[in-house]
Amino acid sequence: MWLLWAVIDRSSGLHRWAEDRASDEAALTRMAQGEGDAVAELYDRHARPVYSLALRILGDVTEAEDVVQEVFSQAWRQASRYNTSRGAVAAWLLMLARSRAIDRLRARRARPKIASDEHAADTLIDTGLPVDSQVISFEQITRVRAALDELPMLQKLAIELAYFEGLTHAEIAARLEQPLGTVKTRIRLALMKLREVLAGTL
Amino acid sequence: MTMSSTAHDELREQAAAYVLGALTQAEREAFEAHAATCVECKAEVQSLSSVAEGLAHAVPQHEPSSLLRARVLASVSGTSATAAPGTPGVASARVFAPWLATAASLALAVALGGYAATLRGRVGVLELRLHDATQRASESERQIADLRRTAAAAQSQVAVLAAPDLVRIDLAGQLRAPQASARAFWSRSRGLVFTASNLPPPPAGRTYQLWILTAHPAPISAGLFKPDPQGRVAEVFETPPDLPKPTGMAVTMEPDGGAPSPTGEKYVVGL
Repeated sequence: MWLLWAVIDRSSGLHRWAEDRASDEAALTRMAQGEGDAVAELYDRHARPVYSLALRILGDVTEAEDVVQEVFSQAWRQASRYNTSRGAVAAWLLMLARSRAIDRLRARRARPKIASDEHAADTLIDTGLPVDSQVISFEQITRVRAALDELPMLQKLAIELAYFEGLTHAEIAARLEQPLGTVKTRIRLALMKLREVLAGTL
Repeated sequence: MTMSSTAHDELREQAAAYVLGALTQAEREAFEAHAATCVECKAEVQSLSSVAEGLAHAVPQHEPSSLLRARVLASVSGTSATAAPGTPGVASARVFAPWLATAASLALAVALGGYAATLRGRVGVLELRLHDATQRASESERQIADLRRTAAAAQSQVAVLAAPDLVRIDLAGQLRAPQASARAFWSRSRGLVFTASNLPPPPAGRTYQLWILTAHPAPISAGLFKPDPQGRVAEVFETPPDLPKPTGMAVTMEPDGGAPSPTGEKYVVGL
């Protein structure tokens, strides 16, 4: 997942601005120096979206709370290896939360792990990929929510099964009894549509 | 470019699934190896990645419990959590001389007589405003409850479809609605998702009813539904855990409130 993490950057998120991003990076630097207070700062800025994502995936408050704890523990442990020039801390935290939550979901279904967040974290350093610092605004998120509801149902189901249920496209194809190629196309169309919505060209 | 363009095209197709985390480990590794040296694929991932982050942010937002904050901070620093931000300090009490207090209370009593009438008027105005505000608040609460229901319905649809024991039944339009079609997904553990399109709007006083056909001779009612103005349906129904395995489904038109067994015409049927 390093590639995704490296380019996901998009500076943090909806309500966030350049100075927040700078503060995040400063907090991570302080965490790397062993300052526990910096974790509190990072937590206060990001716990809500991290928790909300985990809760959406797991549907269970206790497990979502465990994920939040794991994510911030991991950020604490790996702060020294985090290269601030590589991108937004918020996007990284959300990606860790998604991986951890999906891992739990897969364990619940007694399936083999597909992606490991440790793998993601181990390899996210030192990639040479470009960083984009576009900021996602509240307004964009609102448009994404609306656009999601307007997607054809199978497109919407396909991306939800992938992103929030952690199914691979082959598993989604089996689940929906659709050919794999069709599922790939649906996922692609849905993402391209949402990308246009994000870019504000629709 | 060292890779053949066919292989490149195939890998580029995977960018969307990659961004959503929907590739197997082997597929992911192959894609990453390719994208690391492919400008086009890298750009594709980059431009789609904001969508993944958008999805992460688009979920309903919930405030984590304050206990969690303490737990997280304790676990990472090995020390107790940092104090919660600013509890207000106690303002220092002012001391009046007793005579001053007496004089003040006398003056206050005189002033209050006149003031009371003014206050009664203002209380009336405030009561009216409060009434308005309460009404608006309950309207907002109702809207929030509606939104929650919608969100919960969408989540349970996905939960059913992700069930390991999923059964799918396709339903075809009958004489009354030849253009209609429907599909049902059933899982013993998670319930039933029913989707349909091109169903005509039911006349006043009538409703659609979904029936589950099993080895048992009597159809079992799954529930009632109304299509949206475009004739589409996407509903989740709970089914009893001891339901015999469905062999088919049918939708009939029934009086409002539904019927204990099918009486009306069939609209879509799947066996």
